[in-house]
Amino acid sequence: MSNAPPEQRGLAARWMILGEWRAHPMRVLTAAAAIAIGVALGLAVHLVNASALSEFSKAVSAVNGDAELQVRSTTSLGFDEGLYPKLARTSGVAAVSPVVELEAGTDRPGETVTVLGLDVLRAVVVTPSLIGRPLAAEGGDARGPTMEAAFDESAVFLSPAALVGRAVGQPIELIAGGRRATFRIAGVLPGVGEERRLAVLDIAAAQWRLGTLGRLQRLDLKLSPGVDAARVAGVLQQTLPSDAQLVSPESEERRSDSLSRAYRVNLDMLALMALLTGGFLVYSAQSLSVARRRPQFALLRVLGVRRRALLAQVMAEGIGVGVAGGGVGIALGFGLADGALRLLGGDLGGGYFAGAKPQLVLTPGPALVFLGLGLVTAVVGSLAPAREAARAQPAVALKNAGDSVDPRVTPAIWPAALLLGAGAAAAFAPAVAGVPLLGYASMALLLAGGVAAMPRLARVLLSGLKGRSFGHVAPDLAIKRLWGAPSQAAVALCGVVASTSLMVAMAVMVSSFRGSVEDWLAQVLPADLYVRIESVGTGGGFDPEEQARLASTPGVAGIAFMRTTMLRMSADAPPLALIARPEGGLDAGAPPMIGRTEPAPPGAIAVYVSEPAAWLYGWKVGQRIDLPIGGTPPGAFFVTGIWRDYARQHGAVTLESHDYTALTGDRWRSEASVTLEAGADRQDVAEALEANVPERLAGRVSVAEPATLRDMALRLFDRSFAVTYGLEAIAIVVGLAGVAATISAQTLARTKEFGMLRHLGVTKGQIVAMLATEGALLGAVGGLAGIGLGLAMSQVLIHVVNPQSFHWTMETKPPWGLLFSVGVALVVSAAGTALVAGRRAVSADAVRAVREDW
Amino acid sequence: MGRWLAGVLVLLLVSAAPAAAQAPTYPTVRPGVALRFPADHGAHPDFRTEWWYVTGWLRAEGGEELGFQVTFFRSRPPVEPANPSAFAPKQILFAHAAISDPALGRLMHGQRIARAGFGLAEAATGDMDLSIDDWRLRRTPEGRYVTKVAGDGFLLDLVFAPTQPVLLQGEGGFSRKGPLPGQASHYYSVPQLKASGSVIRNGKAVKVTGAAWLDREWSSTLLDPAAVGWDWVGLNLDDGGALMAFQVRDTAGRALWAGGSLRSRDGTVARFAPSEVKFGSLRSWRSPRTGAVYPIERTVAVRTPQGERRWTLKPLFDDQELDSRASGGPVYWEGAVRTEGGRGYLELTGYASPMKL
Amino acid sequence: MTAPILQITDLTKSVPGGRVLFEGLDLRLAAGEFVAIMGESGVGKSTLLNLIAGLDQADQGAISIDGADLAGLDDDRRTLLRRDRVGFVFQAFHVLPHLTLGQNVALPLALQGQRGDRALERAEQMLAAVGLAGRANDYPRQLSGGEMQRVAIARALIHQPGLVLADEPTGNLDPETANRVLEVFARQIRGSGASAVLVTHSEVAAAAADRILILGRNGLVERAA
Repeated sequence: MSNAPPEQRGLAARWMILGEWRAHPMRVLTAAAAIAIGVALGLAVHLVNASALSEFSKAVSAVNGDAELQVRSTTSLGFDEGLYPKLARTSGVAAVSPVVELEAGTDRPGETVTVLGLDVLRAVVVTPSLIGRPLAAEGGDARGPTMEAAFDESAVFLSPAALVGRAVGQPIELIAGGRRATFRIAGVLPGVGEERRLAVLDIAAAQWRLGTLGRLQRLDLKLSPGVDAARVAGVLQQTLPSDAQLVSPESEERRSDSLSRAYRVNLDMLALMALLTGGFLVYSAQSLSVARRRPQFALLRVLGVRRRALLAQVMAEGIGVGVAGGGVGIALGFGLADGALRLLGGDLGGGYFAGAKPQLVLTPGPALVFLGLGLVTAVVGSLAPAREAARAQPAVALKNAGDSVDPRVTPAIWPAALLLGAGAAAAFAPAVAGVPLLGYASMALLLAGGVAAMPRLARVLLSGLKGRSFGHVAPDLAIKRLWGAPSQAAVALCGVVASTSLMVAMAVMVSSFRGSVEDWLAQVLPADLYVRIESVGTGGGFDPEEQARLASTPGVAGIAFMRTTMLRMSADAPPLALIARPEGGLDAGAPPMIGRTEPAPPGAIAVYVSEPAAWLYGWKVGQRIDLPIGGTPPGAFFVTGIWRDYARQHGAVTLESHDYTALTGDRWRSEASVTLEAGADRQDVAEALEANVPERLAGRVSVAEPATLRDMALRLFDRSFAVTYGLEAIAIVVGLAGVAATISAQTLARTKEFGMLRHLGVTKGQIVAMLATEGALLGAVGGLAGIGLGLAMSQVLIHVVNPQSFHWTMETKPPWGLLFSVGVALVVSAAGTALVAGRRAVSADAVRAVREDW
Repeated sequence: MGRWLAGVLVLLLVSAAPAAAQAPTYPTVRPGVALRFPADHGAHPDFRTEWWYVTGWLRAEGGEELGFQVTFFRSRPPVEPANPSAFAPKQILFAHAAISDPALGRLMHGQRIARAGFGLAEAATGDMDLSIDDWRLRRTPEGRYVTKVAGDGFLLDLVFAPTQPVLLQGEGGFSRKGPLPGQASHYYSVPQLKASGSVIRNGKAVKVTGAAWLDREWSSTLLDPAAVGWDWVGLNLDDGGALMAFQVRDTAGRALWAGGSLRSRDGTVARFAPSEVKFGSLRSWRSPRTGAVYPIERTVAVRTPQGERRWTLKPLFDDQELDSRASGGPVYWEGAVRTEGGRGYLELTGYASPMKL
Repeated sequence: MTAPILQITDLTKSVPGGRVLFEGLDLRLAAGEFVAIMGESGVGKSTLLNLIAGLDQADQGAISIDGADLAGLDDDRRTLLRRDRVGFVFQAFHVLPHLTLGQNVALPLALQGQRGDRALERAEQMLAAVGLAGRANDYPRQLSGGEMQRVAIARALIHQPGLVLADEPTGNLDPETANRVLEVFARQIRGSGASAVLVTHSEVAAAAADRILILGRNGLVERAA
């Protein structure tokens, strides 16, 4: 009755759904598990990223002391302190706090702390969180809390993180600017959280004792109340020299965000891919279940269920799967994120937030979003089967339990072609806000297109076999069945292709990347030995005299000293690496050039830019560019070439050592590459070099062989891809589980058919063999298609996603061995699953099976 | 002399760094050093501490009466003199300004503090010229004192024209502060300054005229260790005379030391020995903020060659307490007071807690 | 005679290949009337039932149930008509395996939006009426073919349809069971006052009807009893 009370209308549907779930719980559980895994991975990756980012920005704002506006130097060398009074007199600026900021080593090997030299009288107005609280020293010469330390040039205040293992009153050594100075711990920085190692001392002491006289790295600004911040910023911008730049909390946030955004988006996308695979599994599970229940649905139609209601029923099943899977996924995701933070740290091994130990940030927003995504995936996966169920002609379906698709009709290829075409087109689109969104869209479209092409492709691949007789019942029956039930075969193939292709795409990309990095390492590490100062601190290193002493070490034929500093190109981008390398520095490791080079015209300063830098700033060979190095006129630098660099994602610029010294006055060098005299023993020379380092740097200098560095670099690479490998493995497992579930469901659904065959005199063994053949064929077809599609998708990853995310290119190096094993694994697991399911199916009583309705 | 007070504040900030091997040597204040002007209006950077202290009464066009103070302090912390950094805190400048508005019933005040340098904070030598950011106090070539200071919700833009010569306190400007000879300062005052200018409160400007008092002191020596606080008063008398009196108190509230001077209209000056100054208390006020009890209505009696003279001091209003604990300073009472035939400022310190150095 | 429950006029139907099954078929079924339709295999007996149920479209002609012309109704309205006015019994039982017998029988009432407890209560009565008292919570797996068909009969009649359509209800049963099921079917039809169209090959089954019609290319011809 159409005027029935509405709450009762779903009763029949509820009976049907619950009855189905009770009858086939494993099928529902598999689909829900696929969704749960996708949701869990997506949420976990997101939570870890969000936690790490919030930790990182907390650390950044800890150092910044929450200044409203900042002027920062573009290099660690700082800008002239004369800017300070100039800005202080600008109208609209209420107060300016001058800051010396540098990284310093300490008396603990390997430790670096951020040193802030503050004028406490200014900072108290602008950045009160950076003011130290004097504490009574422990022990005999204890003093009460006083303010005496404020101007004491030997007093240093430490953040709680830096204070760990130290005590107030103890001395602490800070090494920066080529100097080593001892300070006394006067107290703690209560306004700085646990996240950062910070040491605050008087600005004059910092300038004098850590070698930054006359220079400042930062001016923290407080604006007058009620002024137009944008206008003041505009005015300030005009007055800034080229080596200083205006930074707002917003631009800082953008900077820390862009630092790791590409990496985070990539992980997010990987996680979403897992969800997508889950979606395909829901689709195949639902499709099979709908196909199996076609006569049941027909009966319901005959009994008076409208199409809409049937559609709603199948959708409700999908939603049930989505809610259950999503709910479990959320719980799993929180657990996973917590575990990942503990085990891998906030950057998931990516190396972006070294040292940070973030707390899990629990927010309901993302959980709801991923629950929604899981639900949407399940609903979308159910949509096509639901429509199919509702569309079926009840009179026909009631009689005929077979495939609804007529085997004689060739499946349409144009939707697949359209999707693949759109995917290919999207691959050529540029990045959106520094993230290759369209690249990912391209991959999704290719995936959808590939899956959509499966019915046709399966037909093409099988048609070659169809006419042939193998002289055995099993293969003949298997091929005929696959060919005759194209939609069932396609459904099974969907899951196989979706998971295989994603997995293959990732594997090819990672192997290409690793291969390219290996080649690159061989190119950039040609010298015999490499010397490096650990936790060098700002401005530290070997002075010219010490360089000469190292050069005269016995056994050293040539030594090339280098210096790496940071160069801030803009306020909202992570800094570039500025590398000073020696004249004609081929022995320092010729940068592996990409494309042509062009000599610099007279008067221009020649620089090589790294590939990411060229991408990020749009630099081309032969172009005159500006770099914010003090006192250089516009267009002073000339790009002579672009070199491949996998080490610095945010770009690097190399200039000749003498140019660097002339521009900055900095004669210190922190790294060196050494060529040995013929016949000299590497080990001996390494020891001699270590013995020859200045006392000041004793124990902080490492001398390494290229092989060691290479191994270390590859270890770092593998570590940063560990999560990728993990996600990939999960995708493989989900994919294979899906294949297994699909095949076993299909097999069990055909019990009646097997009973009929048994009646016809087909032996159990033959049926099992037929099923195994079918499974193997499905696995082979799916594997071939998946690997082909995956190779195509890997090209998008290699040539679109990676350059747009990380700004470096690589050569395709497919892991043939792995691809082969994946193919074999698919065939084996598909055949094996069919075998196991088949044995169960044929063990049922044949007579009874024939009599069974559905 | 009370102006040590904020000097103490600064000293708190900078007092002897421990283990400062090369602590600077401060000159000691000696008697018999003649003061020379305008040079002594300017800073004496070698001395440990110094202040320029203007207090007074203003009458707005509408007839309302206000008290005000504008004070600049200079302090020389015991830092390493060899530090070549332009930021080396060789001199710290501190300034304080307050308005006593009976309509408001409490002080409006503001402050500036900075290390000297970069032209942003300077205390000139040679003549009076002090600046910290946008705050300024200077002496013009014509001999007038000009100040412009602004705090939260108020601005003082005042000119002070001298009507009388400089009044040297103590023995020719050598003023003892305690029982030991070293406990002393160079000290001079310029009373009966004719004040004019404008005051802005909460965005509303009024023209004002009035009378003010300039106190100048510099020293390297601290208070006697037994001292917990002091009382100081400076009065511009209606007949043109000027009275200054102070006492340094011990824990029992007894005077450890006292002093003062009275310059009559005709210019004759009577200087008081410690026994010749007596402060009495008529009414106390308890601060609701700090719980401190201040004797805000009191008597001052001095023995002059002509006999004892006595004044009764009544505050413009009760709550002229200044709580600067938030910025690391002490709590004290500093307010406009009137008396029979005169008006001036009274300073009461060490009532909330002992002034510890 | 009262107003007909089923009125078929000039019905023509051909199969997709173009072969005409029947032409100019007329049938008038009075309320409470029980007819059997017989004919050779492939003559279109089941197709005729599907046409009556609104599950298939005729080439020509009109079918009206309870005065409602099927041609004038869209799929949804035909579905509702079927739900309320028609009951079905199939040769292959079509009892849902994962629903209890009670739920299977109560399904039409559930579809009409009746309360679950009331529908199940009524289903138990119906099951008792077809000789399956106390089996409401069993699952179909435990039933024999005859029992299965009795469940289907209970399902076809639970919502008191005006018209019951039965397509070879005894086709899958051994003669003895078939007889028992037929007896139950006839009794229930008569008891409920519904009209019924029974398509069958079985003379025994057809004999239970009021009249027997033979389906041929030119429609239905009454066979003398």
